[in-house]
Amino acid sequence: MPMDILDIAGIYGLLGACVAVVFLLWGIDRVDPNARGAWTFRPLLVPGVVLIWPLVLWRWWRISRGETLGKRHRPPRLAQDYLALALALAIPVLLVAALLARQNGPYERPAVMLEGPAAEQDKSAQ
Amino acid sequence: MTERPDSFFIGWAPPPRRLRGFLIAVVLGLLALFALTSYLTAATQDDPGDGAFRFDWGRETVVGVLQAEPYPVLHVLESERFGQGQALMLSGFGKRGVQDRGDPLDGKVVEASGVALKRGALDMLQVRGGAEGLGPLEGREAPLPPVVSLGRWRITGEICDGKCYAGAMRPGQGLAHKACANLCLIGGVPPVFVATDDIEGQRFFLLADAEGGAVTEAILDQTATLVEIEGEVTRRGALFVFNIDPQTIRLAQ
Repeated sequence: MPMDILDIAGIYGLLGACVAVVFLLWGIDRVDPNARGAWTFRPLLVPGVVLIWPLVLWRWWRISRGETLGKRHRPPRLAQDYLALALALAIPVLLVAALLARQNGPYERPAVMLEGPAAEQDKSAQ
Repeated sequence: MTERPDSFFIGWAPPPRRLRGFLIAVVLGLLALFALTSYLTAATQDDPGDGAFRFDWGRETVVGVLQAEPYPVLHVLESERFGQGQALMLSGFGKRGVQDRGDPLDGKVVEASGVALKRGALDMLQVRGGAEGLGPLEGREAPLPPVVSLGRWRITGEICDGKCYAGAMRPGQGLAHKACANLCLIGGVPPVFVATDDIEGQRFFLLADAEGGAVTEAILDQTATLVEIEGEVTRRGALFVFNIDPQTIRLAQ
């Protein structure tokens, strides 16, 4: 059976939940010294980690390699101009594509009789 | 030679002289863009139709024979507003049907009370809660109108929920309304098929499965778009029912 978008979102969310458990129990202590010994705020981070878990994993990996604060933020910042440009192009393209793909009729298609009524019948008596 | 200072825009300070022309052009350009966007957005919307809650009619009390399958419908016997024999689909408050209240009253004469919704030939009554909204009228009996087959048809149209289409939502049809339509159908509101052609002068059909039962589960993925469906059309009094074969539903091309 082909996967639909909800299945894909479900798998993404499930992976995110696994990452959230591992990151919030062990990983966060390694990337943020201020988080050590602090536990009550961690459940608040679960929804965010589930949503952006690939970025969490990527940053966790970069920080654990000892890269500096400036460096670990560089790729997202470098990409920002390109992403803004891509978004500015993508929005009108998506809008036009959606308008072109939108169903437009048929609004006046005649009904087709496939088989005439056999006889006047009273089904309420059945 | 002195270097000219850079012009710099600060929201709370008077704009630099060199920027004034640019700023006026930007403001006028944005105003024109917003006006154009608003016009195009409004101009491309479908007509939502004239369906509406008829609160101006006040509370309607109707006596009729109740048909519970496929969805509760009242065949009017007495009413100040509706003619004898007219068929009123019934719904509850919000996105709820009244199947659970209608089932025990199947074939009985009942009194229904509530607010009417009307769109062309499509009438619905949103009944009040409890027995005051829908209850048996003891001591009276009347038969349900007979079912007449109008043949097997292939019809193009849109599957809508009967309440929103009748006027509870504007628009009550189309892709933008799909999620609402599905929530209403799941809640038990009767589904209607809005056809692109008349059959015996009728364009609205209550949907049922081939056996005349409820068909909600089988149509949820096909609401809000124009589809072609095959099935038998029947008439019971003033009520037209499209007894569909869900396997035949196809997107209309």
